[in-house]
Amino acid sequence: MKFSFARGALALMATLTLASCGGGKATFPINVSVTGVSYDGLVLTTNGQDLPIHYTGDPKTPATINAVFPNGIEYGEIYTVVPKTTTASDGKTVTVSYPQHQTCSPATGYPIGLPITGTAGQLSKIQINYVCSINAYPLTGKVTGLRGTGLTLANGSGVATVSVSPALGTDNQPTGADITGLTLFSVTFATTYGVTVLTQPTGQTCTISGGANGTGAGTMDQAAETAGGVSNFVISCVNNPT
Amino acid sequence: MKSSILRAGVALACALGLAACGGGSGDLLLQGTIYSGVTKAGLILTNNGGDDLVIPAGATSFQFSRAVSTDDEFNIEVKQYPSNVKTCTIINGKARANYYTIAQVSMSCEIKTHPLVIKINGLSTNGLVVVNGTDRKEVQPNLPTLAMNPVYEDGAYGVTILTQPTGQTCTVSNGSATMGSTDENNNNVVVNCV
Repeated sequence: MKFSFARGALALMATLTLASCGGGKATFPINVSVTGVSYDGLVLTTNGQDLPIHYTGDPKTPATINAVFPNGIEYGEIYTVVPKTTTASDGKTVTVSYPQHQTCSPATGYPIGLPITGTAGQLSKIQINYVCSINAYPLTGKVTGLRGTGLTLANGSGVATVSVSPALGTDNQPTGADITGLTLFSVTFATTYGVTVLTQPTGQTCTISGGANGTGAGTMDQAAETAGGVSNFVISCVNNPT
Repeated sequence: MKSSILRAGVALACALGLAACGGGSGDLLLQGTIYSGVTKAGLILTNNGGDDLVIPAGATSFQFSRAVSTDDEFNIEVKQYPSNVKTCTIINGKARANYYTIAQVSMSCEIKTHPLVIKINGLSTNGLVVVNGTDRKEVQPNLPTLAMNPVYEDGAYGVTILTQPTGQTCTVSNGSATMGSTDENNNNVVVNCV
């Protein structure tokens, strides 16, 4: 009787000890930091979990948002944290859940450039860093009648000016032919643009039409973003009266 | 006798040692990265007050012609700024030379800006919006001037009308040019409204 009691106690102790050792496998939380968030809509995903990164503040003051995936992963599990992609019912159209008007990519450079993929336990802490920037769209169009040299166009200050040279014939003389498919400037969403002639070509005067207001200026708004930019610029050059 | 030989030997060793250290004829090339702001000729850097190094416009790096030796002190400073530069910041420009420290030097320069204050004539209604690229200004009526954001020296500006005011039509003359080097009377932009 005494023996069997001791045996029972031993068995219980052993069970308790085992439970305390084995039960809690090490789990690793997946920490995320996203900088430059100006708009809502980013969803990051890994290991079957989604992590929405919400931002409803002022787009002019981008935020850094720290978040953790709802569930940690176990030692040895592989993670790859990427923006969520959704394939439409046609099986072709793929939508990436970036913030509206933004694109995000893994952070680069010391000290925030950490791998977005790895194995839990490889590093003491799983930390994923993304950086978002606001999309920019091109202003495109054509130049007509250009024969002189020296035409440069500006879009305000702080961006490089664009020089346009006339089209040349086989005899290396300017033909005045249209120069089409010109990409003039890249404009960030929700900012204004205003294209002007900085220097006129020799012997000619060029005027600008196009843009949202018809005279070369406008705002890179929702409509322009949907259209993939503003493509109606025409820079018309005529010879100066002699 | 023996001690005097020793003494001579020590003196010789010292002399050799000093020669090796002091000459500045080492094998470490002192260099740096230029991140921004050198758009014009005129920048001169010095190391320990000498060894003048002229940096050309548009340079993205520099390297002093005289190599330095391990443990030599180096101290890179600006002797002369380009005319359009306000100031340059040199990072890790002062240290003892070794393979690590000579590769950590960088510099960025800040280009001067000047106010862009333009004239407005005849505006009597609301609604006029003037832009200089991304710089957008709503203009109140009956004000003679409008201050746009400052513009970099030697940088372009292009003032144009985004939205016309109610019942009036405005035109811009001399809207696009290159910013000069003065704070006042540095532009001829005029917005005339009728």
